Amino acid sequence: MVVARKEKTAGPVGQSVLRNDVLEKATGAAVYTDDIQFGPGLLFARVKRSPVPHGILKKVDVSKALALPGVKCVVTGKDYPDLMGLYLKDRATFAVDRVRFIGEPVAAVAAVTEEIAEAALDLIELEIEELPAVFDPELGAQKGAPLLHPDLENYVHPNFIFPEPGTNISNHFKIRRGDVEAAWPKCAAIVETKVRVPHIQHVPIETHVAVALADDKGKVTLWSSTQSPFAQRAMLAKTFHVPESDMRVIATYVGGGFGCKAGVTMEAIPIALALKVKGHPVKFRLTREEEFYTNFVRQGLILNLKVGCDKDGNLLAMENTMYWDGGAYTEYGVNVTRAGGYSSTGPFDIPNVKTDSICVYTNHPSGGPYRGFGMSELHTGLLQVMDMLAEKIGMDKVEFLKKNVIQGGDTVATGMTMHETGIKECVDKVAAAIDWGKKEAPTAPNKLRGKGIAVMWKAPAMPPNAGSSAIVKMNSDGTLDVSIGGQEIGQGTFTAMAQIAAQTLGMPYDAVRVSGPIDTKYSPYEWQTVASRLTWSMGNAVRLAAQDARQKILNLVAEAWKEDPKDLDIQDGVVISYKSEESIPVKDFVVYGLPKENDQGWIGGPIVGTGSFMPTYVTGLDPETGQGPRAVVHYTTGAQAVDIEIDKETGRLEVLRAAAAFDVGKAINPDLVAGQIEGGFVQGMSSAMFEGAMLENGVWRNPSFVDYRIATTMDVPPKIDAMFVETAQDDGPYGARGVGEHPMVPTIAALANAIKDATGVRITNPPFSAEKIYLALVDAGIVK
Amino acid sequence: MRNAHPGLPELDYVKPGSLEEASKFLAAHAGESRPFLGGTDCIVRIRDGAWKPKYLVDVKGLEGTTGISFDPAKGLTIGAAVPMNKVAAHPDVQKHYPLLVEACNWVASYQLRSRATIVGNVCNASPAGDTIGAAICLDGVLNVFGPDGYRKEPLTTFFFGPGKTALKPGDIATSIFFPLPPKESAGKYLKLGRNRLGDLAIVGVTAFAYKDASVASGYRFRIALASVGPTPIRPTAAEEILAKSIDESAVEAAAQAAMDSCTPIDDTRGTARYRKLMIRNLTRQAVSAVLAQLKK
Repeated sequence: MVVARKEKTAGPVGQSVLRNDVLEKATGAAVYTDDIQFGPGLLFARVKRSPVPHGILKKVDVSKALALPGVKCVVTGKDYPDLMGLYLKDRATFAVDRVRFIGEPVAAVAAVTEEIAEAALDLIELEIEELPAVFDPELGAQKGAPLLHPDLENYVHPNFIFPEPGTNISNHFKIRRGDVEAAWPKCAAIVETKVRVPHIQHVPIETHVAVALADDKGKVTLWSSTQSPFAQRAMLAKTFHVPESDMRVIATYVGGGFGCKAGVTMEAIPIALALKVKGHPVKFRLTREEEFYTNFVRQGLILNLKVGCDKDGNLLAMENTMYWDGGAYTEYGVNVTRAGGYSSTGPFDIPNVKTDSICVYTNHPSGGPYRGFGMSELHTGLLQVMDMLAEKIGMDKVEFLKKNVIQGGDTVATGMTMHETGIKECVDKVAAAIDWGKKEAPTAPNKLRGKGIAVMWKAPAMPPNAGSSAIVKMNSDGTLDVSIGGQEIGQGTFTAMAQIAAQTLGMPYDAVRVSGPIDTKYSPYEWQTVASRLTWSMGNAVRLAAQDARQKILNLVAEAWKEDPKDLDIQDGVVISYKSEESIPVKDFVVYGLPKENDQGWIGGPIVGTGSFMPTYVTGLDPETGQGPRAVVHYTTGAQAVDIEIDKETGRLEVLRAAAAFDVGKAINPDLVAGQIEGGFVQGMSSAMFEGAMLENGVWRNPSFVDYRIATTMDVPPKIDAMFVETAQDDGPYGARGVGEHPMVPTIAALANAIKDATGVRITNPPFSAEKIYLALVDAGIVK
Repeated sequence: MRNAHPGLPELDYVKPGSLEEASKFLAAHAGESRPFLGGTDCIVRIRDGAWKPKYLVDVKGLEGTTGISFDPAKGLTIGAAVPMNKVAAHPDVQKHYPLLVEACNWVASYQLRSRATIVGNVCNASPAGDTIGAAICLDGVLNVFGPDGYRKEPLTTFFFGPGKTALKPGDIATSIFFPLPPKESAGKYLKLGRNRLGDLAIVGVTAFAYKDASVASGYRFRIALASVGPTPIRPTAAEEILAKSIDESAVEAAAQAAMDSCTPIDDTRGTARYRKLMIRNLTRQAVSAVLAQLKK
């Protein structure tokens, strides 16, 4: 008898299952790099750093430091002159003949205690001839500015990075589409403005920490708090001339990344020391001050924007010149400016576009990846200009956005055809959530109330061929191990991967174990945990690996039962036949196989599934026009709206209500999506209200939490409406796209627009501190 | 960059058995020793390298430093080592000195207040100290044990500059005493930080008042301003205006007088211009809030 194929049970995908790392993290059992015990042979590293922003390094004398009892070795730039970098090889482990920012490593000491290592730093003598420095990217980009990297022409880079040797420009990305000049006369309204976005820091609770050990054969093991064990393996192996397979990176849980633990920042330093004291593990951890000075920063940006529309509000032209304050080394930052370039229109359909996204070397801390990868900075300017344009032609801002947002089938500024996206639906959702269009009364007489809205888009920014892989191993106790190389940095990726594996195989979610820590020796390859790409890219690899295991299971059972695999299914850990109504638990055979009839031998064996995924369709873009068939894999879009008040007595901004919606393709775990949307809003709000490096001649005036304030729970609005829409991604697992970075991208602009609505005053440049708002109100004559 | 020390530099921790012993040690090691209470300022400043003591002298637990005692006839004595959370939770403090509770609850975070002490806050003499305004307005007097035995240090004459006070080497503040507040009195502390929790004050305004038929307005005010000068500031001109009248224009004039009395600087927390304007606005708010309480 043939039974009807019943509807598949819902399965774990789409369910808000409990995170699989929650218990160990909540109890403190989770192991982080600094928790690992290395025994009495452990040495501690400290670093001698440049006290000046720019200069010729004439002498580094380490002899006195070496003589200090307890010091085991001292290394300098002369020991390791090789350049490294993710996209542009412009940075050595230590300054070799020139220093380019305050805090740049010049030498490192390994000693038996951290205190002795620190004391040894005072004994290292530096002779530096100071040079004129560059602190403004717009000035630094001009010919005649002091040159930071005279060897720029020799730096190795991929073909999509365009340095301009002889200048401080390390990448210049261009779009030339349509005819901007011809379009201006057709515009009914044009807004032209300059917006400055300051540097900010990621400030993870766990500062950078790494431990390196070299054995007598020169094989290196690195324990590090990292988002990118495989990228670190590749970069560090090259730098230290070690075969990749002899450079092993073990990546424990990460206490906050937000981008700053991508690529390599300080991890080369303990390796440089460990190679000189073989057999001794060397630990290096950054202090909070070092974290501010020497970690990647979100680079500062100067945007010069000119955007025009016709009388009906249709966008006609945009000219966008961005000067990115790339800092002393732009090995990673050049790709931030590339991403800022190809996405420079924001999620808008604009026929005439001229973009220059220019990465400039300065004597500031080095820019690099920060949640949003250039998009928050870009949208801070762009979405304020859209607000101004709508005001200028007297159109409702929601109507203006909906009229101009990009839609499936539109051609984006780089020539790529846009896929289907639910951005209009996102705008409607957030507008409804804060009662857009309804003028609300202030909660007190001394308050001004207003609303603001902004939209966003972001594509994963990465090389065209960034790959993922996964292994699924079935166990005889009914569980399965999923091995991946992407990192759990708080976003919940281990949970999402377990859900995808369980759903694909037909196993219960609780049966899935995700193998950690990530270990490049045993875990399958993953490019990096960045770019909001894991749910999509690694999710595809996990889905393929689970499918592979599933097919092997079905083939085995079909052979044993003499049935067609097509009639079999796996539900809740049990193989069932819709034809014979036979069933057998998966755990009974996935390791030991199945016996043939009459004791005539066995079939099967341990079931292991593998899966790999790599986008194969991303093309190059023309260096002069930025045009090409497909610049990126896809865009996640969304919108945010806020209802705020300004206190007329102090200038303090308070968010009463916030709403955000993003098109995630498919929410694998709705609670985790909501967590990203809420957390991203708070981080965006913090960057909008409080954060900014106070850099004066290369010196941080606020390199600590005393003076670099971030939002606390007390600053969080009472209500954040976290919503999503699901327009399936054609090549995403169950249709999913990433949403890790997107929720903080539109926040600064949404708040700026709300401040304008509340007060009538436009304050373009964050942070919107109480002081900045109050003094703007005084200057505008609104308060005295 | 200042190469901040990864941990604390090496130093000797001294735990004397008596006030005499502690005082002698501190006097003998003037300039290289510090008395140590909650440590919430000490540890941070030593780690930053701003203070470089060879000895930390733990005076917690010495005679008179540990308890809170309230005498309905005289007033309140808070031992130097009593953490702020204990002060803020004490029923007699809540009943008779609500301003002190309010001030304590503005200091840093709950976790920090489990260690931080009012006497430590006062003796560190930061112009931004959140409890100092309340301590001044409540007529606080420090009990000090020094090389010549016990003496009293009224807060009115205690502060000389940032970190500079009437204390000398060998002095240990053992407790702080607050007389009974006048019968019909009320207070308010308003603090402006960059964000809502855990910041140092950009400015702070403490206002305290009681009914007094001997002055024209019927109200006697005490006001203290934080973070707008080298020491906490008592804007006496503002207090005098309010002794004459408490109508709206008088309150406005007092706020203006408070603004005119302060001498803030530009720093990472805020500019002098903003600080002066905020002193005016918050003084107006604090005075109004106090009057509203008293008129209830």
